[in-house]
Amino acid sequence: MQIAVSGGKGGTGKSTVATNLAVALRKIGVRLTLADLDVEAPNDHILLGVELANEEPVNQFMPRFDYSKCTKCRKCAEVCEEHAIVTLKDGTPFLMPTLCSGCRACEIVCPVPGAIQEAFRVIGHTYVTPTPYGFTLVTGKLREGEERSMPLVVAAKKRAEEVREGLLMVDTAAGTGNTVSKAVEGSKLLIAVTEPTPLGIHDTELILQLGKLMKIPTWVVVNRSDLGDVGKVRELAEKYGAEIVAEIPYSENIVKSYVEGKPIALTDYPEAEIFKGLAERVAEFLGGGA
Amino acid sequence: MQVAIASGKGGVGKSTITASLLYLLKDDYSFVAVDADAEAPNLGLLLGVTEWEEEREHIGAKIARINTESCVRCGICYERCPYGCIYIDDEGNYVVNELTCEGCNVCGLVCPVAGTITLEEVRSGVIRKATTKYGFPLISAQLDVGRPESGKLVTEEKEWAAKLMKELNLEHMIVDSAAGIGCQVIASLGGADVAILIAEPTPASLSDVQRAYKVVQHFREPAYLIINKADINPGFTGLEEWAEKEGIPILGRIPYDRAVPESMSMLKPVVEAFPEAKASKAIVEIAEVIKREILG
Ligand code: SF4
Ligand code: SF4
Ligand code: SF4
Ligand code: SF4
Repeated sequence: MQIAVSGGKGGTGKSTVATNLAVALRKIGVRLTLADLDVEAPNDHILLGVELANEEPVNQFMPRFDYSKCTKCRKCAEVCEEHAIVTLKDGTPFLMPTLCSGCRACEIVCPVPGAIQEAFRVIGHTYVTPTPYGFTLVTGKLREGEERSMPLVVAAKKRAEEVREGLLMVDTAAGTGNTVSKAVEGSKLLIAVTEPTPLGIHDTELILQLGKLMKIPTWVVVNRSDLGDVGKVRELAEKYGAEIVAEIPYSENIVKSYVEGKPIALTDYPEAEIFKGLAERVAEFLGGGA
Repeated sequence: MQVAIASGKGGVGKSTITASLLYLLKDDYSFVAVDADAEAPNLGLLLGVTEWEEEREHIGAKIARINTESCVRCGICYERCPYGCIYIDDEGNYVVNELTCEGCNVCGLVCPVAGTITLEEVRSGVIRKATTKYGFPLISAQLDVGRPESGKLVTEEKEWAAKLMKELNLEHMIVDSAAGIGCQVIASLGGADVAILIAEPTPASLSDVQRAYKVVQHFREPAYLIINKADINPGFTGLEEWAEKEGIPILGRIPYDRAVPESMSMLKPVVEAFPEAKASKAIVEIAEVIKREILG
């Protein structure tokens, strides 16, 4: 089974919830793999205090033109939705590598066999990192200067599925664009981490919309719950048929454990209890069927 | 001049600081503000915008659609979609997941039944303009849920802002860049004259801002750093060391202050809501440095 932890806005504590929930779930005996699919800013390894390991490059197709064969028909440039191929006046095609998404549409339409050859470039990396908490962390990391995170989300998710043990828990990027829905896709449960501030509430609505559009049961975890009006989050949750399952008050302890890279779920602080409770609810939802 | 404010990731106070800086710069400079975080825009909220004067739909995202009537269920599109966006529904029909499709049209090219797969242009979001109560205009965008191409939305925002600069004879464009390092951020930073990076002294924020800085370097823009919540992690020196090693001037340090989240709940820049707060005082100093060193 797969579940997702997401949240409309950045900085609501999504990664804190994902990592601590993973630790707490493992503690009560649930086998799982955690996948950090926030490929533009992956942080779960930092919060878990581990160094990324087992690096694998993500190679992406890009066309290389064999100008001795190319007839300059421009078909490749016309079909490229990314406008990654520019043509000279006489039709000679050139590639602008960072715009290319690797979709192979150009290769498909090129009428001359061999005019488009396969070349690849590394657009990022995936990692499989053992953690001292009894689960493996899979991370996708986009290379700086690369524009498209979708292929990396796809590659990291694939690697996570290959190595997964038991439950797959994905931690997504902020926002509600299509890379977030790609990360969430296939989940049986969406845990939306929110903040009860006016800004947080605005973004919560978007993630609840996404859950609804994807027809995934959605739970809400309200982080820094004493910094605003949880009633507003509750209204919104009700509107979308979601349920508030945990409230985490603002806590210096969480900040401290966060900066130390040590999951609070493993400490004796009272906040650890919240994650334990959440983990028990998730385990119950999974019905032992992870 | 075009100034982009970036952090590599949300949650480090970028928008609050930006809102405060805009508030402090408004009397001495003329500018247009751009909220380039199209997936979670909130500068408008922080600046008390309740109504938008103008709204433009951005049509431009492309989504594939399959005509179930003519589809022969050969599965070729399913096999070839580079992002796995086609699925088989309960009735055995091949269907495009509109929330993940990238609009590359590979499925349309490989489908053997002509006309079965069409690429349709759909709305990817809206771009809005408001005149804030502080007098300067704000351009903001909102990507629709599940849509690709947030970068294009940001590019269009900046085009609109550039037009406004000409029309209203404004000196500067100040861009609150998106989180992350992908297409939105590249569109936010591309064309900027200066980048101001915001980070907090935590390993996670350091890692994010380092990645954003690599994008800045790619554009060869001069960068400055603001350290937010500077006192939350006294043992952590990595951020300052990194800035020194890279030669990134530090514009200032803002202490952690509960006045900041409180001002956010009031939907006001902290420097306006609590001018006496220690965070506000630090931001005022930073604004002075920006006036002197960057905006001139
Ligand atoms: S692979 Fe796709 S994006 Fe890249 S050049 Fe070819 S058509 Fe364009
Ligand atoms: S489609 Fe093939 S032959 Fe035509 S311009 Fe492109 S590479 Fe050359
Ligand atoms: S347009 Fe591209 S991403 Fe969308 S379904 Fe077709 S092949 Fe997949
Ligand atoms: S390739 Fe065309 S005919 Fe075949 S399953 Fe896809 S839509 Fe149907």
